[in-house]
Amino acid sequence: MLFLQLLLQGIQTGALYALTAAGFALIFGATRIFHFAHGISFTLAGYAFLFAWNAGWPWWAGSLAGVLAATLFGLAMERVVYRPIQRHEGSFFTVFVAAFGVAVVVQNLVGMLAGRGFASVDTPLSRATEVMPEIFLAPIFWIAIGVAVVLFVALSAFLTRTHAGVALRALAQNPDLLRAYGLSSNRLSMLAFALGSAMAAPAAVLTAMTTGLNEAIGHHVMLISMAATIVGGVGSLRGAALAGLMLGVAESVALQFVDTQWAEAVSFLVLFAFIIFRPSGFFGVVQTR
Amino acid sequence: MTGPLIARRALLGTALAAPFIRPSFAQGSDPYVIGTLFPMSGPNGEYGKLFTDGAALAIEHARADGTLRRPMRIQAEDTQALPQQGVIGMNKLVNVDRAHYVLVGFTAVSKAVAPVGDRAKTVMVNGGAVGPDLAGLSPYFWNVIPLAHLETQAFLPFLIRRNLKRIALVYVDDPLGDAILGLLRTELPKVGGELAGTFSIPRTAQQFGPVAARVRQARPDAVYVASFGAQQAQIIKGLRDNGISQPLIGYSALSISSVTSIPEAEGVIFTSQKFDYTGGSEITRRFATDFKARHNADPGTYNANYYNATRLFALLARELERENAAVNGDSLRATLLRVREFDLVGGKGTFDDQGNMSAEIQVNEIRGGRVVPIA
Repeated sequence: MLFLQLLLQGIQTGALYALTAAGFALIFGATRIFHFAHGISFTLAGYAFLFAWNAGWPWWAGSLAGVLAATLFGLAMERVVYRPIQRHEGSFFTVFVAAFGVAVVVQNLVGMLAGRGFASVDTPLSRATEVMPEIFLAPIFWIAIGVAVVLFVALSAFLTRTHAGVALRALAQNPDLLRAYGLSSNRLSMLAFALGSAMAAPAAVLTAMTTGLNEAIGHHVMLISMAATIVGGVGSLRGAALAGLMLGVAESVALQFVDTQWAEAVSFLVLFAFIIFRPSGFFGVVQTR
Repeated sequence: MTGPLIARRALLGTALAAPFIRPSFAQGSDPYVIGTLFPMSGPNGEYGKLFTDGAALAIEHARADGTLRRPMRIQAEDTQALPQQGVIGMNKLVNVDRAHYVLVGFTAVSKAVAPVGDRAKTVMVNGGAVGPDLAGLSPYFWNVIPLAHLETQAFLPFLIRRNLKRIALVYVDDPLGDAILGLLRTELPKVGGELAGTFSIPRTAQQFGPVAARVRQARPDAVYVASFGAQQAQIIKGLRDNGISQPLIGYSALSISSVTSIPEAEGVIFTSQKFDYTGGSEITRRFATDFKARHNADPGTYNANYYNATRLFALLARELERENAAVNGDSLRATLLRVREFDLVGGKGTFDDQGNMSAEIQVNEIRGGRVVPIA
C-alpha cells in the first residue's frame, strides 16, 4: 500500500514538474537560450495568484493574473536582457550570468514585497482524505493531472497544426532558413518565451495550494526543469514532460526503498545515469562526429 | 625654498597623512560596530528581519537612555543561513569592519564562524540557534537563548503527561536536526517514551507528501518537527494535508509568523523561553510597548533575544567606559564574568562560566494564529 501511495503522490508532483520543465524545454529548444530565470516566472505566477486570492478574486481571475505575470516576465527577459546580449556576442556564459543576476534581483524584490517566509493558499482542495485503506488522495491530485493533460494536448496541437507552431519548431531547426522564408525569428522567439513562461503558471498556482511558496522556490523549479530537459532530450517537449513526470515519480517512490533524506538526490541520480548512459535523453537526437 | 612653496608642501603632506592620522583622533566618537550574521534573503530570510528588529530597538533604547558615550551601529552581513556565507561575512566583520561584537543565529552558521571569532577574540552572541553543542564553543561565544537540551528537558515530561509517548521525528539534515535526533534518542527512553521513527530531510526539500506516507506507517502518538524557516511551515502543511492528524510538536523555531499564521498549524505545541510581556519587569514592558508601536505586532522570542544580546553589549560597554577601559573581546568577557547578572527583557539574565544565559522554559500552543503559553 505504501508503494501505491508513493506512486500516486509522485504522479501529482511529476505532473507539476512536467509543466514547468516543458516550458523551459520549449524556450530552450526554440531559441537555444539557457533561460535560467525560468524559475522566477514560476515564482511570480505563484505570488500573483496568491495576492489575487488574498484580495478575494475568483480562482480563475487569480490564475489569469498568474499566467499574465509569468508571461510578461518571460517577454521582458527576452526583449530587455537576452536580445541585447545576443545582438553583440551572445555567449552562453553571458546569457547565464545575466539571467542569474536578474533571478537574484527579482527573488529579493519578491521577498521585500511579499515577505520573506512561507505563503500558501488555504483551500480544501489540497486536503487528502482516505479513499482506500491507507491511501490518501486530495482533490488537487485529479486537478493536477487534468491540467497537465489538457495543456499538453493543447500545446501539441498548437505546435503541429498552426503556422505559428510549425514556425516555432522550424526556429529550433534552422533560424537562418526561417529568415530566408521571410519569417521573423525575433517575433517567434518572443512567442516561445510567452508560451514557455505561461506553462509555468498552472504549476505555480497548484504549488501555492499544495506545498506553498517562498521567494526562493524558483531555484528548485529551475533545477528540476534543467534536469528534465536533459533527461528528456534537449529540444524535445514531450521528452521534457515525460522526464518531469518520471523525476516526480522517482523522487516519491524511492522512499519505499531508501531513507527520506535521499528523495531529492534520486532525481539527480537519474540525471547522472542519463548523462552517462544515454546523453541524448529520451527523445534527443544523437550527435555523431 | 620660498615660503609659499613650503606652505604648499606642508599642506600636501598633511592632506596625504590625514587618512592615517584620522582614526586616532576619531576613535572617541566612532560608533561601536555591532556585526550581524543573519539570513536576510532566501527561505530563512524571515528570521533575519526578526533578529534585526530586536537588535535595532535595543540600539534605539540605548541611544535614548544615553547608555554609552559612543553610538552603536549595525553592520549586516547576509548569511542565507549557510555556514560558508557565514564565514565570509564573519571574516569581513572582523578584518574589514572591525566589529566590536557580532550577533549570530543558526546552529550550522554559529559553529562555522566560532573559530574565526575565537582567533580574532571577537565576542559572538547567539540568540536564535539551539544546538546543544553551542555551549562552550569558544570563550567568546555566548548564548542568550536556552539551548535545545534545556527545551527538551522541560518538554518531554509534558509530552508523557499527555500520553504522547511514541514520537516520530522529522528533522532537517544539519547540525540542529542531528542534535535534536541525538537528544530524543537518549532522553525519550529515560522518561518512558520512544522514537517511533526518524525521517531526515534535506534543507532544500519542498515535497512532504511522501514523507507523510512514511510517518503514517510509523503510527506515532505525535510528530516532532525539527527544522527552521519556511521549511517548517511546508512540513506542517505537507503532513496535515496528507492525513497526519496526530499532534505536531517542536521547539522554539516554530514561533515565527509564517508558521503560526497557517491554518494547518492550529494546535501545534512547542517550547520556548518564558517571557511575560505584561506583568514582567519595566524593561520587559518597555520593550513590548515600543516594539508594538514600531512594528504594529507583538514581539516574539527572537525579537526579545536579539534585543537582549544587543542590550548586553551596551551594559558591558557602559561598565568599560566608566573604567576608561578599551572595549574588546577580552574586556567584554572579563566584565561579563565579573557582573554575571543583567537586567534584560524577561527578567534577570544570569550567565555561567561559558557565557550561557539561563532562562525558564514554557510550553506553548498555536491557537487561532497566536502563541498561547499552556505550561
